[in-house]
Amino acid sequence: MLNSERRPSMAERRPSFFSPGPDGSLQSTSLLVPHLAGIEDPLPETTPEQVDVVIAGTGLIESILSAALAWQGSTVLHIDSNNYYGDTWATMTIDQLKNWTTLVNDKSSETRFYKDAKLYVSGLVSQGKFKSKNFGIDLSPKILFAQSDLLSVLIKSRVHQYLEFQSLSNFHTFENDNFERLTNSKQEIFTNQTLPLMTKRNLMRFIKFVFEWEKNTEVWEPYADQPLASFLVDKFKLEKPQVFELIFSIGMCRNLNTRTPEGLARIRRFLTSFDVYGPFPVLYSKYGGPGELSQGFCRSAAVAGATYKLNHKLVSYDPNSQTAVFEDGSRVRVTEKIVASPTQHPPNSGNIPPQKYEVHRLTCVVEKDCLQWFSEGENAAMVVFPPDSLKTGNTETVQVAILGSGAEVCEPGTSIWYFSTTQEGPRGDLDLDAALEAMIASILRESSEIPDDDELVQINPDGVSLVNSVKLGKSFKELVSKEQINFIMKLYYTQYTSTPPFDVVTPNLFDLNKSDKYMPGASDNGILYTSLPSGEVSYDEAITAAKLLYEKIVGSDDDFFDLDFENDEPDSKNNNKTMGNYDESAIADDDDDDDDIRMMDAEPVEFAGEMEI
Amino acid sequence: MNSNVTSIKLVLLGEAAVGKSSIVLRFVSNDFAENKEPTIGAAFLTQRVNMADHTIKFEIWDTAGQERFASLAPMYYRNAQAALVVYDVTKPQSFIKARHWVKELHEQASKGIIIALVGNKMDLLESEEDRKVAREEAEKLSEEKNLLFFETSAKSGDNVNEVFLAIGEKIPLKKNDGSNNDGLRTTEDGRIDLNRSDDVANSSGCAC
Repeated sequence: MLNSERRPSMAERRPSFFSPGPDGSLQSTSLLVPHLAGIEDPLPETTPEQVDVVIAGTGLIESILSAALAWQGSTVLHIDSNNYYGDTWATMTIDQLKNWTTLVNDKSSETRFYKDAKLYVSGLVSQGKFKSKNFGIDLSPKILFAQSDLLSVLIKSRVHQYLEFQSLSNFHTFENDNFERLTNSKQEIFTNQTLPLMTKRNLMRFIKFVFEWEKNTEVWEPYADQPLASFLVDKFKLEKPQVFELIFSIGMCRNLNTRTPEGLARIRRFLTSFDVYGPFPVLYSKYGGPGELSQGFCRSAAVAGATYKLNHKLVSYDPNSQTAVFEDGSRVRVTEKIVASPTQHPPNSGNIPPQKYEVHRLTCVVEKDCLQWFSEGENAAMVVFPPDSLKTGNTETVQVAILGSGAEVCEPGTSIWYFSTTQEGPRGDLDLDAALEAMIASILRESSEIPDDDELVQINPDGVSLVNSVKLGKSFKELVSKEQINFIMKLYYTQYTSTPPFDVVTPNLFDLNKSDKYMPGASDNGILYTSLPSGEVSYDEAITAAKLLYEKIVGSDDDFFDLDFENDEPDSKNNNKTMGNYDESAIADDDDDDDDIRMMDAEPVEFAGEMEI
Repeated sequence: MNSNVTSIKLVLLGEAAVGKSSIVLRFVSNDFAENKEPTIGAAFLTQRVNMADHTIKFEIWDTAGQERFASLAPMYYRNAQAALVVYDVTKPQSFIKARHWVKELHEQASKGIIIALVGNKMDLLESEEDRKVAREEAEKLSEEKNLLFFETSAKSGDNVNEVFLAIGEKIPLKKNDGSNNDGLRTTEDGRIDLNRSDDVANSSGCAC
């Protein structure tokens, strides 16, 4: 906490929002949201002249912040210079991506947040076989762990009611030129006949440890500065396949340097998320990831009274008069703070934090449903290429999220492959290409039983990859002529961020705008900059960052989404349950306090056993 | 327990001050409905209506002011099965805006969306001179665009229930085909219900 004494929050200065307690104190009561909040008198047609907070950029961090502030009682003007929600977290149609690529590559604009965007779009889109608007492509794809801060905030704020979530249980690791499905539950470890007894025992011992690793400091502290791999080998006698699985598939770490405490936290994240909502650790939202979540939080903020204006660009901010000026000539007085995503900085800005971390991305839409990668009834899978598993001898992992049309992000018969790596420089793209090649080879192999051979697949300059029929021999020729992977879209880009891929967001990230550091003449003195999405596969950074920013503005994060909605829906008894109530015991123990099954009321449950995979 | 519940997402559109919220408030707090108590989260108003042999649960989304500066998110229109486009019978400008919203809905919303055009504030018409949007004009638009059409007074409650009942009657009943159902803890339309965590913990087979 920065301030030793908490100053009254903006909500507290607005007593109408509260019912005072018996002693007149408002401090300890959580914000009770009255009936019909958000359905009020008509709002004015002009933007306010004075607000508590201006937020520029509708990315996920800013949107969470906006909703938190609005429900706390602050007046918020939330703008975005784009005509869409989401900023660098947006979910886009193919046509929107075309515009985005053009902008990123525009040499005249200073683009220090993206580089080298290369977009290929198949003629089938302009010919109308595929419709641009039927695709929802994430600029920063993320997955949501069932046991995570964001999920509890989604529930507490009820933003989850705007969204639809699906499960993801398939994690594949690429090993020895082959894809192994992850052994990710205790049950599977026990039933896995291929593991030697000793390995099973060691693995179980580790899993038991990792749930409570923080308490058992004596076990790991000597390894606090060492890579997790050494710890796993020395302390638990685990062998390479298990070590890799734990670090890269379960921990989703980017490289072998991940240190022990951080790695353990990541492994536990996965294991405690398992069985919270069912036999899967991860969820994702339909219609798009962070872009959808951003819209949900913005809507929530609007319900709480925030004013929204897209296509509205910040031109300057004067910290002395506390006035923000916009491109259309309008201005607003800011009583508390002005916050901006780095991408929304005013011209002639001088205080943008350095974005020193690089993430390379390759996003493809392919004409293949990829059902073989998904669990029954699911529409997504993760694939991990650990270090040195690709022909490039990669040192960083390549992570791939595959999303199918059931997630409503692409047309039937197609799927989206999101590749990413934190490998910097030109090698990053080479690793992505190698991973793509391995994926294609595997898909073709599985669908046509073509012999295993790397060189069978060639990618033409137009983005179409073909199997080399000469190498296959005569007997396969017929098959091969049918087998190819068509790319509907293919997009390479490098993004920059101030958040390292696997560290937590550190508070000093937002300390760069101290008044003593004001740049003379800069247009953005006094603006608090947010952070851009990192190379981390999960949403974990978003709540951390939003909370830190909230604390900077309000003085404390005590009442961050501290709200309690009156009168739950009559047909659900457990609405206020937050994920914080569930710890590892949800996995290990019988948890029978959830006897009423809401879905049973609505519709009989059947198991869809007929699905072909 | 009526097991035949169809959930319908209904969105509100219309110029500021035409009475969008009032119509909904009148509807959700009305006697004819099953639950007198309107319920709201930060999300939307819900109201159940008993039809002849099934129940319709309206999930009513207000614009929350996001339409003022053309900043409605795509999420607002997504999967909306019904929309109320509201105008004020005493304000011609609000009818022009209503035309705009009908057009917008046809472009942005799902194909089968049921749109009701609603001329509100009939209580202000003390004489025909007060009326600034002719009934015939609105009827013509409704015919052209295949809209339901009502003139209402949220203040007196006139015709408000009728709007929602008419929408309810036009909504195709959900098929009970068990698709989308993979044994996960899902709500009636196949999504995971995040309000509930799973109690399948014993499937891990180990009590350690």
